[in-house]
Amino acid sequence: MNALFNSVSNLGAATRKNIDSIGLATLFLLRIVSSLFTGLVSFKQVIKQIYFIGNRSLIVIIVAALFTGMVVALQFYDTLVRFGSVDLLGSAVALSLIKELGPVMTALMVIARVGSATCSEIGIMRNEQQFDALDCMAINSYRYVMLPRLLAALFCVPMLTAVFDLVGIGGGYIVGVHIQGESPGAYIQGVMDTISFKDVLVGQIKSLVFGLFIMWIPLYYGFYLHLNQKNMGAEGVSNGTTQAVVMSAIIMLFSDYIVSSLAL
Amino acid sequence: MNIEIETHNNYQVVKLYGEVDLSNSRSIKLDIIKLIKSKNNIIVDFTHLQYIDSSGMASLVEAFNEARENDTEFHIVGANGSPLQVLQLTRLNTVFNLADSVSAVSNNG
Amino acid sequence: MVKPIITVEHLFAQYGDTHVLKDVNLEVNPGEILVVMGGSGSGKSTLLNHMLGLKTPTSGTIMIDGVNIFTAKNKQLRNLRKKMGVAFQGGALLSSLTVADNVRLPLEHNTSLDTQTIDIMVRMKLELMNMAGTGHLMPSELSGGMLKRAGLARAVIMDPKLLFFDEPSAGLDPTTAVELDELILTLRDAMNMTIVVVTHELESVFKIADRVVVLFAGEVVANGTVDEIRNSPDERIQNMINRQPNTQRDDGEVYLNRLLNKDKN
Repeated sequence: MNALFNSVSNLGAATRKNIDSIGLATLFLLRIVSSLFTGLVSFKQVIKQIYFIGNRSLIVIIVAALFTGMVVALQFYDTLVRFGSVDLLGSAVALSLIKELGPVMTALMVIARVGSATCSEIGIMRNEQQFDALDCMAINSYRYVMLPRLLAALFCVPMLTAVFDLVGIGGGYIVGVHIQGESPGAYIQGVMDTISFKDVLVGQIKSLVFGLFIMWIPLYYGFYLHLNQKNMGAEGVSNGTTQAVVMSAIIMLFSDYIVSSLAL
Repeated sequence: MNIEIETHNNYQVVKLYGEVDLSNSRSIKLDIIKLIKSKNNIIVDFTHLQYIDSSGMASLVEAFNEARENDTEFHIVGANGSPLQVLQLTRLNTVFNLADSVSAVSNNG
Repeated sequence: MVKPIITVEHLFAQYGDTHVLKDVNLEVNPGEILVVMGGSGSGKSTLLNHMLGLKTPTSGTIMIDGVNIFTAKNKQLRNLRKKMGVAFQGGALLSSLTVADNVRLPLEHNTSLDTQTIDIMVRMKLELMNMAGTGHLMPSELSGGMLKRAGLARAVIMDPKLLFFDEPSAGLDPTTAVELDELILTLRDAMNMTIVVVTHELESVFKIADRVVVLFAGEVVANGTVDEIRNSPDERIQNMINRQPNTQRDDGEVYLNRLLNKDKN
């Protein structure tokens, strides 16, 4: 009987804790966004963060896109050839990349490269009292530290997604045309004919939403690292980073489903 | 904070009254540099100065440098109390030409 | 009768079931160096965080320069903070900026001075801290003592009238610690600052303090001049001065239960 009560009360406590943290994370985001209106954003900082995200992610995204495009083309070719409709290869590759794989794979790469680095950086800043120091210097941490990173992510993730799409379609071209011997004209025609403005728009909206989540969540985990007493010190930073990366990926994929279902 | 500019022989005497701090050091610097640019020799009179912070000191360093580049003289006179302590703390007493009073400088020149 | 610049009244802080501060009262007078002394767990860091307005107490008030920092409006608090400098234990320099950029941060955000003026002010403060020529270094390239001094340079860049210093000599070799103590005295004498130092280092306490407040388990157990503290009859303070641990001796039965982990039942 006691065990039953305990498990019910544990469930309640866990639920309350989760609701608490959702509330806190929302408040955190609201504070970042509202700091936009209380003073000037440092343009220099935004550029610095854009460079940071781009510099960290561009190469890895190009490589990932190339292989993703190639493997998608390979699989589609294998399937399409059985139905004798190999000329659909271009459309199939382009559609799957632009609507789904481009935004998701880009977001995953950015989580791995930037989200983790951001969370540990912010967590270390918290541990070393750097946010306390900013408060004491009357400098708004939300505007000075968080906002540039969020704006840079909102700018970079859609851009990187576009790069991923293009390189991926190129990778598909290599497999379809140079390896499997389909005609270049059919592939390119297929790409051009099927892609509508709406597809591109949905892909870009997705990557904008992903950009928000995959920067917001690591920032939140890093900034509130101290709320969990277990999370102090170097071990705490690495714990927090792991949690942030997992949570970013899950929420990103969840939001992918929501946006996809709304767009269809 | 108040600033008065007088002519004394071939010197422009800049008398500082009250407190020089973040809120007014920039305008004082611009005033003095304007005088230097028109080839005036400068004496900054600290006699009635009660307080000067490091932004004030930094501004005077800039003005001093400007005077050098324009080949004009730049003196600080009458430093006492807290401003004198700040001069010593920042070791700027080794940089500026210090004198006791305006007449001590202007009569020799 | 001098009006105190900081007044802490009936400050209580409680986290969960732990009472970290229990009815702390103290005053800091203009121009004095007040040292808050206490061992680890005495609540001295919590007290400092409350004085800086970084934490909200369970109850009680802190007035700084006539402003109640827990009820002050954002703008009031911001103006107050421009008059306060804080040197953190590990320097708390922003790791992405050079030493010089860290030191100039408050000026860049809170004043409209020319870049050249700011540059000169930064170099002047680094000279004062005996750190000439280190402006281009990143915080990760500095030793512990240099980090503290760079943090101090940033804390005093606006010439604040009130300076807080957390553990100036903790984790430093004795020579560097003495240097920092002298710097604190210089700042008070030449720039007329009021300084609140939080520390557990006795040598530095007796060297720099005008007045000492001793915290023990969240309570103020003594408040007086260095001599008064030295000659205090309080056993806890004497233990602290003579470096004796404050152990509680319980009877064998309680101890045995603790060893067998039975005390919870």
